[in-house]
Amino acid sequence: MEIGGVFAALLNVVGSPYLMGLMLIAVPAGMLFGAVPGLGGKLGIVLAIPFVFGMEPLAGAIFLISMHSVVHTGGAIPSILFGVPGTGPDAATIVDGLPMTRKGEAGRAIGAALGASGVGGVIGGLFLFAILPLLRPVVLAFGPAEFFLLALFGITFIAMLAGDSLMKGLLVGMFGLMMACVNLDPQTGTQRYTFDQLFLWDGVDIITAVLGIFAIPEMIALGVAGGSMAQLGKPSASFGLRGVLGGIGDVFRHWGLTLRTSIIGAFIGMIPGLGGEAASWICYGHAVQSSKTPERFGAGAVEGVIAPETANNSKEGGSLLPTLFFGVPGSSGMAILLGAFVMLGIQPGPALALGGMDVVWALIWALMLANILAVIMFFALAPGFSYLSYVRGSLLIPFVFTLAYLGAYLSQRAWENLVLLTALGALGYFMKKYDWPRPPFVIGLILGPIVEDSFHKAMALWGPAFLLRPGALFMLALIALSLGIYLVQMRNKRRRDLSAA
Amino acid sequence: MQPSPNQAAPARIEALRSGRVTTALVMLAIFVTMSIMALGFPERARLMPLLVGMPGSLLALILVFVEWRAQSQEAASSDVQFREAHRNEKQMFFWMMLFFVGILGFGFVYAAPLLVLAMLRFGKKESLAVAAGGAIGTWAVLYGLFELTFQIPLFDGHVVEWLRG
Repeated sequence: MEIGGVFAALLNVVGSPYLMGLMLIAVPAGMLFGAVPGLGGKLGIVLAIPFVFGMEPLAGAIFLISMHSVVHTGGAIPSILFGVPGTGPDAATIVDGLPMTRKGEAGRAIGAALGASGVGGVIGGLFLFAILPLLRPVVLAFGPAEFFLLALFGITFIAMLAGDSLMKGLLVGMFGLMMACVNLDPQTGTQRYTFDQLFLWDGVDIITAVLGIFAIPEMIALGVAGGSMAQLGKPSASFGLRGVLGGIGDVFRHWGLTLRTSIIGAFIGMIPGLGGEAASWICYGHAVQSSKTPERFGAGAVEGVIAPETANNSKEGGSLLPTLFFGVPGSSGMAILLGAFVMLGIQPGPALALGGMDVVWALIWALMLANILAVIMFFALAPGFSYLSYVRGSLLIPFVFTLAYLGAYLSQRAWENLVLLTALGALGYFMKKYDWPRPPFVIGLILGPIVEDSFHKAMALWGPAFLLRPGALFMLALIALSLGIYLVQMRNKRRRDLSAA
Repeated sequence: MQPSPNQAAPARIEALRSGRVTTALVMLAIFVTMSIMALGFPERARLMPLLVGMPGSLLALILVFVEWRAQSQEAASSDVQFREAHRNEKQMFFWMMLFFVGILGFGFVYAAPLLVLAMLRFGKKESLAVAAGGAIGTWAVLYGLFELTFQIPLFDGHVVEWLRG
């Protein structure tokens, strides 16, 4: 690791008023998307695409990563104040955050969430720095065979993203893989499912697909349900800065827990497909397990807020790693970020380790700086954020519709994407309505071309014997292990459900 | 109480019409159609579509039956809440289609502010001031930020392009 290069990247970011200015815009925007339930980081990135379109690649990527890395910091607010999680991974924060609010400790809980998110984000970045020297030789040893199996490994996580319905999750993942086949086949030059439409030759646009599957259905669902995003209770009166400072102090008082959950979160983030929900709940469980007074949990223990919040932000650092070096998104949010990086001209993969380390360092610093900026800015913005949960759906929907159509058009400058967006939006709504898990679609759409391309390359280079390469055998073992763990988890869950019934 | 065979038959026909089953049927149709189309591709090009499409079709077929059985066993939901949700759903699809057709015909800068105004004022019964503010804000972002500041030309819409010749 070139220490000079690492710090040169930091100076490049901090010394540029343009980049710092972009981060100052991105951080509150990311927190806003996290704080308004139903929006979330994925939608935030997708809606920010039109704004970064045409920017210099590094500037655009820093804007997006800064925005994405602080989403969960904002997402903790409605979780703690109203018991409404801003994003899925913030759900674990409710367990102790809401009782703290009921006890009149909303400020402390918010402060703990804020401090834990900031520290978690910074430790996640440091984790990346620490693990990179070990990772680079491994990354460079990866060939088409290993890439094929790694992508296959990512696809196996579709099952884990499936939630309660494995069958639907698998089918949605396969649907994503099928959509990935819509293109001009790179092996034979054959048009596949393009219907002579030029805009489909490069494949289904990821941004349009994600907008159709996520943004449009969320807005339709909001319009159908009516009212505002969060209607539970009222903002806490005890939203003082003194309470917030007390909560931040709690993070450092429980420094051992903060450190452990940050590292666990970053590590879980590295594993593609496990997702933020797993990180926050595993860390919450760890906090309960390691506490001398576990009975306080669920009734307003501040450690119950610290643990999931550190994990939520540190996992972003971890999930950046496979996203950048393998092109395998560590989470569904990273999957969308990956698409945005490609659109900006940053091609994730082993080539980045050879010639793009300055970009990697800059992105890691941006991730850490964004978390620090979020803590600083939050003091001024916290009271305002608490009211965002009351934004009426009627005020939100037309603007999100406009931004969705704008994003779909701008991603390829193709009006045909508007048709694709509408069709996928309608399908996505019914998928949401009838409990079809949607994240597997994104994983399938992104990993499909990697699987197909690297399979053909590996076959051309080594024939079926590519499966016997050391790296390939390791990846096969990893796939078997991951599926084994999943099956054991499923069996345990079924037993728990049966005993609960 | 078990439904009699005479009652069960219409319930199953109704289940086939339900959105739950229809969604599964749409997925089945997508997988089957794409798999059949893949048969016409060259060998290397059809490998992946068939590898995914064949088991996908089978899984979708199983899911149609699973959803059909689940739906036919559910109690018929024809209460007021359901009807209201259905009406809201239709309205939201109407607005989505209006945005689509409007932008496709008249482009972002002309259509989007008017659509925001219309949806806020007539669809969501917001005050004229709020609706007008929203429309002006939308126009300011689309025209001011994208076209003027960022110099990114937005789609003009087919009707506008046709009128301009």
